[in-house]
Amino acid sequence: MKKKILGLVALVLAFSVLAACGSKKESATTADGVTTIEFWAAANPTQQAFWEKMAKAYEQTNSKVKINVSVIKESPSSEASIQAAIAGGSAPTISENINRGFAAQLANSKALVPLDTLDGFNDIVTTRNMKNTIEPWKFADDHQYVLPIYSNAMLFGWRLDLLKELGYAEPPKTYSEALEANKKLKEKYPDKYFWAKADLADPTAWKRWFDFFMLYDAASGGNKFIEGSKFVGDEKAGVETLKFVDDLRKDKGILAQNVADPFETGTSLFIDLGPWTFTNWAEKFPDMKYNQNYTLSMPPVPDGIDPKESKTFADTKGLVIYASATKEQQQAAMDFIKWVYADAKNDAQWFDETKLPPARDDLTTNESFKAILDKNPELKPYAENVPNAIPPMDNPKYNDLQTFIGQEAWNKVVRGEIDPATGWANMKKAIEGELQ
Amino acid sequence: MKENNNRLGWLFASPYLIYSIVFFLIPLVWSFYLSITNWDLIAPDYDIVGFGNFAKALKSPGVHAAFWVTYKFMMIFVPLVVVMSLIVSILVHSLPRFKSLFLIGFFLPYLSSGVVSSLIVKGFLSYNSPINTALRKIGINIDWLGTSWSALLIVGLIMAWKFTGYYALILTSGLESIDHEVYEAAAIDGVTGRQRFWKITLPLLYPALYTTLILAFGVTFGIFTEVYQLTGGGPKFATNTWQMEIYSQAFKNLQAGYASAIALLASVATFISIFIIRKLLEKWGARNGWV
Repeated sequence: MKKKILGLVALVLAFSVLAACGSKKESATTADGVTTIEFWAAANPTQQAFWEKMAKAYEQTNSKVKINVSVIKESPSSEASIQAAIAGGSAPTISENINRGFAAQLANSKALVPLDTLDGFNDIVTTRNMKNTIEPWKFADDHQYVLPIYSNAMLFGWRLDLLKELGYAEPPKTYSEALEANKKLKEKYPDKYFWAKADLADPTAWKRWFDFFMLYDAASGGNKFIEGSKFVGDEKAGVETLKFVDDLRKDKGILAQNVADPFETGTSLFIDLGPWTFTNWAEKFPDMKYNQNYTLSMPPVPDGIDPKESKTFADTKGLVIYASATKEQQQAAMDFIKWVYADAKNDAQWFDETKLPPARDDLTTNESFKAILDKNPELKPYAENVPNAIPPMDNPKYNDLQTFIGQEAWNKVVRGEIDPATGWANMKKAIEGELQ
Repeated sequence: MKENNNRLGWLFASPYLIYSIVFFLIPLVWSFYLSITNWDLIAPDYDIVGFGNFAKALKSPGVHAAFWVTYKFMMIFVPLVVVMSLIVSILVHSLPRFKSLFLIGFFLPYLSSGVVSSLIVKGFLSYNSPINTALRKIGINIDWLGTSWSALLIVGLIMAWKFTGYYALILTSGLESIDHEVYEAAAIDGVTGRQRFWKITLPLLYPALYTTLILAFGVTFGIFTEVYQLTGGGPKFATNTWQMEIYSQAFKNLQAGYASAIALLASVATFISIFIIRKLLEKWGARNGWV
């Protein structure tokens, strides 16, 4: 009987092993020479529609390639879905929606192909006119793993109607001007706040892109914060950034609570804004009109710094090709991207449909984009500031590192639990400990 | 004959055995193996790091928080859900008709998506929601999800709302199984309403109540969706449950090995806690002569 039980266990284990083997991919190239590539698009209907159109058009010019476009599952997050797919041996050939930090994690795990090792990469950089934009994306090993698709120079939105009531014709540009505006706001409207959103007190790593890094990049002139595996943060700029938030808090200008649409409802004067917001506003808040009731600006800078030198965070994502794909699939994917970006009209179509500025050096000078920018004036400041936008760090531990910024410094300062200098020192210590 | 019985026994037990091997034993062994590696879930190369992940977990503030949050949550959730489900079951049981209809009504939250209910609650608790605006007018200004005590309380309330109907179903079937003649006999003996509950209903309902309590205690070790949607484990780890910590380490920080070590520690904490709770409940039942 024992033998039979052992046999049964062996059978189950054998089935498990066979099932695991069964998940291995079949050859991607059929007998008639057609290579199939799997393209995972961001879970955004306009982005998915764009890539479906591109895939269809490319298949008509190249009968030897079939492109299956599908959406990256966002449950629990797009990153987790990609990780699970890689772990399960079902990664796509190519995907978009990859930020630099996540790409660093993937590259570190040898899950990505260095794009510069594939034929055609340099042609894309040249024909798409993106030499300057892509330069900071180079990784510590001197390879390029991500081709940035869009680059949002994150800006701050200001309620122009409120500013006018307070006697301003344009947004404050320095910290003292901003603090002064807050004081005037509180005098007139005690229930309104300078900056209102729960994320300010939340340590989730990515949330620091849209508060700490926007201000810190401006205060530090675009300091890298972490270079390779070394903390190179600018202490003076960092403490000044934290002090600005602390001063706002002391003057009751910060509301770190869950607030539904604080900017749109006029609860807050100031908010971080990405260009994706405008599509949403067109449907949900059609009354929000650029230069009528809101305007946009680069982040305010510490006193003594020229506001024209202000930098900001670049919310930028790109394409990657996965190492698990076959050589034929990898090259077919690269050829497809090369075809898409050979024509600026495709980037213009992307910009028009998604409102996300293509990651190019010539966005404001190339005639292909002029009509879109004229039609959507709120996108102009985003396009103009692409060169002033600093991409996220490329460290594979970016999640932990950015969590420390929140946990040790930013969130505590926002809550008034710590002074800015101590917050910076604690954060630096925690980050350096993690980097060792 | 004995040999035939044995074969038949194994045959009937085999679906469960196979299920346990595939979905319990193999993952357990795999999880233990992962817990002694530094694998990030996707890298082809990784190292065996021994019990380093366990040592790291035992020192981690996130793990400490997960341990204590579970018991704090238990103190809120279990009494609340058991009392609420008991009230619902008694009320439904006393209805002259349409009992099933009402039970289904109470059971619906259990079937609803945790994501949706969390998002609705988040909307209700927004700073500028009508509820909060009204509360501010009478001088109450609370950051419901940004304050440690209230965030945990909110999660506890949502979970209690979700599970009340489910447990009420179990308790109602327990009440239905109590013979009416017992109550009739008690009525003849002049038993009061309070005595009726404490001396008849509760003892006879004890088996169903025991099941409900064990299930409710078990739930506290597996909370994820509501916490993930509402607070992300914050503020300051105040709602950081075991599942939230495992998820964060595995899928945000890409530390599958470390997350496995935390998962094993969570399993041990769960097993020991449930064992102790079970023994205490059995003692409570035995002391009162209910079992």
